[in-house]
Amino acid sequence: MKPRNLLALILIPMGLIIAAVPQNKTNPYKLTADQMLTEANSRTQFVAPEVVADMILRKDPSLRLIDVRGQDEFEKFSLPGAINIPSSDLLSDEYTDILNQDIKMNVFFSNGTLAANQAWMITRQLGYENNYVLEGGLNYWFEAILNPQKPVSTSSDEEFARYDFRKSLGQALGGGGDAVQPASGQDAFTVKPVIKPAAKKKRAAGGC
Amino acid sequence: MGPLAPNEIISEDTNFLLAFFIGIAFGWVLESSGFSSSRKLAGVFYGYDAVVLKVFFTAAITAMLGLLFMSLFGWIDLNLVYINPTYLTSAIVGGVVMGAGFIMGGFCPGTSFCGAAIGKIDAMVFIGGLFIGIYGFAFTYGWWEKLYLAKYLGEPKVSEVLGLSDGVFGLLLILVALAMFAVAEWAEKKFPREAY
Repeated sequence: MKPRNLLALILIPMGLIIAAVPQNKTNPYKLTADQMLTEANSRTQFVAPEVVADMILRKDPSLRLIDVRGQDEFEKFSLPGAINIPSSDLLSDEYTDILNQDIKMNVFFSNGTLAANQAWMITRQLGYENNYVLEGGLNYWFEAILNPQKPVSTSSDEEFARYDFRKSLGQALGGGGDAVQPASGQDAFTVKPVIKPAAKKKRAAGGC
Repeated sequence: MGPLAPNEIISEDTNFLLAFFIGIAFGWVLESSGFSSSRKLAGVFYGYDAVVLKVFFTAAITAMLGLLFMSLFGWIDLNLVYINPTYLTSAIVGGVVMGAGFIMGGFCPGTSFCGAAIGKIDAMVFIGGLFIGIYGFAFTYGWWEKLYLAKYLGEPKVSEVLGLSDGVFGLLLILVALAMFAVAEWAEKKFPREAY
């Protein structure tokens, strides 16, 4: 048999097969279940609310807060500078550039940690880096940052120091702090201008 | 699984090492197929020798089938495979310049290094010309920049432009290639050349 005929005899059937089968459009996960379990158990994806609050106040440009709740909830309340990527739109093409990058630190948050953790797991399994979860979600944020409870008087100095730090962060971010807070007027106006412009900028960036 | 380097299954250095060995194998095959002779490549244009056409097109459709089947089996993620971005104007101008160079010189960049490796002087001269071209372009880049970057199309695939699935386009390409081989072999008989 001539080589050309032999070639045709092999290539044409293979071409027919490949033309007939549907294309494989699955997006394979990059991490095995074992690797994923180890990562999830190590809890390294969590960022403490103090760290996030501090980054917001320092206007750290590497921070990107991502609200994974629905749009209506996002519009009612969100963290300063946060952008909204509802869980249901997480895999849409327009957000790939935001989620799969190595410059910014993305912090997912929801009311608790469930939805944010889901978002983190999905992006992590796709092999994306630099995505984190706000520890405790917004509920804990209220508790720890915006409305910290004064420790009992027998507590250690460390706990008082943490309380003072949280209280100052909370006041700076417009939280209730405690009863004395309204009197300390200087916090209210040193901070407000800090946050507002950042919020506008980031929201615009998230839209495109 | 694949592609190996972007998925960090092998390191970038291992990737280069593999490329080195594949390169040597490629050169060896080129040489043993007689591609180090400038008459072989020029023969494609004059019709008396279509081996180059047949070898490269067979390689292309074999690789295409391999990739499509590997993608089908989930062994490779085609979205991660690098595709050269298309600049239409420079692709056409470059194709014409390169084609003219092929006919005049009788080598393509790969075969010229093959020829030089076995001591062919015309191949070495061709490589000299190649470097003059590379440096000439690099040093006068400012003159060409506009032309070079004109008509940027991103990374389109012919199958996408035609609205076909990759598989159907693959089958068409195989049929076209086989038809082309038949025409080329007919031309070889039509325009024979004795010893070369």
